[in-house]
Amino acid sequence: MKLRIKITKDAGIRFISHLEYVRTIERAIRRAKLPVAYSEGFNPHMKFSLASALGVGVTSEAEFVEIELGEEIDLPATIKKLAVNLPTGIRILAADLADTKADKLMAQAGGADYRIVVPCKDCDWQAIVERFNEAESVLFQKPVPKGRGKTKEIEVKNFIDHLEAECSGDDLQLAFSCKITPTGSMKAAELLVVLRDSFEMPLLVEKADILRTDLYAVDEEGKKKSLLKPEYIA
Amino acid sequence: MTKQFPIDILSQVQKPARYTGSEFGSIVKDAEDTKVSIVLAFPDIYEVGMSYLGFKILYHILNQEEGVAAERVYAPWVDMEAKMRENALPLTSQETGKTLRDFDFVGFTLQYELSYTNILNMLDLGQVQVFSKERTNDDPFVIAGGPCVYNPEPLADFVDFFIIGEGEEIMVELMNAYKQWQSEGMPGGRSEFLNRAVLIDGIYVPAFYNVEYLPDGKVAKVTTNNSLAPATVKKRVVKDMNTISFPTAPIVPFGEIVHDRIMLEVFRGCTRGCRFCHAGMVYRPVRERKPELLKQLARELVDNTGYNEISLVSLSTADYSCLAPLIHDLITELKEEKVSISLPSLRVDSFSVALAKEVQAVRKSGLTFAPEAGSQRMRNVINKGVTEEDLMNAVGAAFESGWSTVKLYFMIGLPGETDEDILAIAQLAKDVQYKYFQVTGHRGAKVTVSVSSFVPKPYTPFQWKGQDTIDEIRRKQMLLKDALKVKNITYQYHDSVTSVIEGVFARGDRRLGKALYLAWQRGAKFDGWSEHFSYSRWLEAISDCGLDKAFYANRDREMDEIFPWEHIQPAVSRAFLWNEYQKSMREELTEDCRHGKCSGCGVCPTLDVKIIDWKEQGHDEAKN
Repeated sequence: MKLRIKITKDAGIRFISHLEYVRTIERAIRRAKLPVAYSEGFNPHMKFSLASALGVGVTSEAEFVEIELGEEIDLPATIKKLAVNLPTGIRILAADLADTKADKLMAQAGGADYRIVVPCKDCDWQAIVERFNEAESVLFQKPVPKGRGKTKEIEVKNFIDHLEAECSGDDLQLAFSCKITPTGSMKAAELLVVLRDSFEMPLLVEKADILRTDLYAVDEEGKKKSLLKPEYIA
Repeated sequence: MTKQFPIDILSQVQKPARYTGSEFGSIVKDAEDTKVSIVLAFPDIYEVGMSYLGFKILYHILNQEEGVAAERVYAPWVDMEAKMRENALPLTSQETGKTLRDFDFVGFTLQYELSYTNILNMLDLGQVQVFSKERTNDDPFVIAGGPCVYNPEPLADFVDFFIIGEGEEIMVELMNAYKQWQSEGMPGGRSEFLNRAVLIDGIYVPAFYNVEYLPDGKVAKVTTNNSLAPATVKKRVVKDMNTISFPTAPIVPFGEIVHDRIMLEVFRGCTRGCRFCHAGMVYRPVRERKPELLKQLARELVDNTGYNEISLVSLSTADYSCLAPLIHDLITELKEEKVSISLPSLRVDSFSVALAKEVQAVRKSGLTFAPEAGSQRMRNVINKGVTEEDLMNAVGAAFESGWSTVKLYFMIGLPGETDEDILAIAQLAKDVQYKYFQVTGHRGAKVTVSVSSFVPKPYTPFQWKGQDTIDEIRRKQMLLKDALKVKNITYQYHDSVTSVIEGVFARGDRRLGKALYLAWQRGAKFDGWSEHFSYSRWLEAISDCGLDKAFYANRDREMDEIFPWEHIQPAVSRAFLWNEYQKSMREELTEDCRHGKCSGCGVCPTLDVKIIDWKEQGHDEAKN
C-alpha cells in the first residue's frame, strides 16, 4: 500500500534545498512512526519519493510525496500524526491511499501551474505578454545541469504556451501552466529570464516571488487531472 | 513566519537556509509571553554552531523557564555579511528575526581563541556597541561562557560579564535576577544590574578588577575595585548529572550540519590527567549519568528527532563505566528502528575496537586512535597512559576485525621534545603497517598520520611552558615529512601560523584586547578558517599595540609568576599543576583518580563535589 500526500513548502522555508526538504520529510515520517517499508540490503533506506523537485527559493502549494507502507493504516489518524511532526512551513493539504503497484506520481505528473509576483517598474507589460502569447516560437538557451556554462536550446512554447498577467503598482503578477514531459520541463525562474532577455521586460528577476500552485496529470484530451483520488481528505 | 531577509539577498548567498530558521523543534515565544530575552550567539557558521551540545542544553533549560525566550544566532558567512553591510541589514535571531541590540542578553560561547574576532563582528552587525564601556541602558548585556572563560582576559574590554563553569543552574539564577530587577523598574541602570549579577556565584565582571603590571610586562597583581566582587571567581558545576534536565527534543535542522545526529551526553569531566589537555583539567570531576537514565533519554531523543544515529558523547566515552552493557541495550532496543550508535572517539585498546565492531556492524570506515606522541618517553611526559603494546593490540584487533584503514593523531611541539621523539612517530606508523601484514598476511594497510602542533593552555601543567616557535614547528614538520615518505602512509599537517595566534590568546592578558580590536578593524574574521586567516595582519596588529607575541606564547614562565587568569578558578590547584609539570619533566606518570588514588588536584574539596562512577561505586544499575 502507498500513502500519497499533497503538502506545501511555505515561504518561511522556501530556501531549503530539495535534498533538505526530502530529509525533513523522512525525519517527520520517522517521528510519526509510520509503518514505512525499507529497501533490502546492508544499508536499508526508506521507500518514499517526491513527485517533482522544486527550485530553491520557490514556494509551493502542491508537493507530492508517496510513501510505501509495510502494513495497513488508518488514513485520518496517520495524517494527524504526520502533521504534528512536520516543521512549520510544511502543511498537509490532501492525502489518499493507493496500491503499491500504482504508477509513481513522478511518472504521472504532466504539468504544473505557477503564480509569480515580480517587480517590473515602468514596463509595457500588456504588449510584451501579448507578444509572448502570440509568438509561434520562443527559443531559450537552457543551462545544462552541472554543464559548466554549457547550454541546450529549448522551445519555450512547448512548455509554456500562454501567460496571464496583471499589474498592481510596480508588481507584475504572472500566472501560467508549464508542461512536464518525459524529456524534461522548464523552471518558472527561466521564464522570467526569457522575458527579461528576449522580450526586454525590465524584471527584477532576483526579487521574484514564485509559487507553484498545482501539479497534476494531463489526460489524452489535454485536460488537467488530479494526481490524488478525488475522495481525498483535506 | 518570522521576519526574514529579502528574497533577492537570500537567493544570492550560499546555503540561504542557514539564515531562515523555522527548523523542527525551534521555540518561538510570543512577545507578550517574553519578559527576558537572550540570544545564544555562536561565533561561527550555522553548521558548526548547530552541532554544539552546550547551546542545545542552554536553549532547552532557558526556554523551559516561564517568561524567558532563548533564541539563536550564528556568524553569517562572508558572502552574507557583504550583502548585509551593503544593504544596511542588521544581524538578527533565527527565531523572531530580532536584532541583537534588542535582546536583554547576547550570550556567546568561547570554544576557540580564533573565534574572538567573529564575536566583535557579530556585535557590530547586531548593532551592539563593541566595547562594554560604551554600552548604554539601551544595549543588551554581552555575556560569554564556554571552555575559554578560564582565561577570559583578552575579551575583558568587550564582554560585560562571564559565566564561569557549567551553565544549567547559573543561567536560570541570572534570568531570575534580571526578572527581579525588571519588576522593580530596573533601578540604577546597567551598573546596578552588574552589582546584582556579581553576587551570583560563578559570574565574573571584568570591569570590577584592576590589573597592574611589572615593568617587564608580567602581571604584578589583580585587585578588585568593587567591594561586591569576589577576589577569585570559582567555576560552577552540576553536582549530579542525573538531577538536571537534558534536551530530549532538540532542534532538527533542515540541512546537514557538522554533527548531524543525536548527541547524548553520557558523562562530564575526565580524570585521565593528560597534561596537555585543557578540557581534562577544567571540566573535573567525572560525573556519570545512570545507564537507566541514558536509555530513557535515548528513547525520547529518537522519538522526538527522527534521527537514525545516536552519538554517545563525553570527553572520553570509552571510559564510561557501564559502556558495554549500555551499548548492547541500546542496539537491542533500536535495531528495529534502524537507529545506529556511534562513538566519537576510541581509546587505544582492544576493548574500544570490540565496541567499534559492535556499533559499526556494517560500515567499515577507518578507525582513529590518538597515541598523541610517538615515543614512550614523550607519552610519559604528557601522562598519556598508553603503551606501544596497547596501540599494537588495538590496531591488531582492528585488522583482525576487517579494518584496513587506521588514522593516528599526534602532537608535535610538546615540552622537552627531541628529534628522536619526532622520528618515533614515523616508526610507530610503520609498525602499525607491519602489524597489518602480521595479522592478515597482506600488505597495503592505509595509515594516516595526522599531526597538530601543541598549544600550551592555562590551567594545565604546561601553562608554564613556552610554545615552540613557528620555525621550530616547521622544521619538525619537515623532519617528519621526510621520515614518512612511505607507500600507503599519508601525512597530514597544517601550517602552524594559526597555532601561534591561538597560543598568544590562550595565555594572554587584557592588553591583547587592543590587538584583537585592531585585527578585526583591519578585516580579521573567521580566523579558524585558513582561507580567511592572515598571519601578517595578526603580527602587525599585535606589534602595533606595542605587544610581543613571544612574550605570551614562546616564553617559559617562572614558578612564581602571577598569571593573568588566576582570579578565575576551575578549582584545580596551582600546587597540583606545578607538581604535575615537575613530574612531566621526570617522565613520571600520575594515575587516574577515578580508579586509583586521589591525585590531589583540589577540585572535589574546593567545589564540594565528588566523582560519580556507577561501576566503581557498586551501583545496581552498573551490574546489568
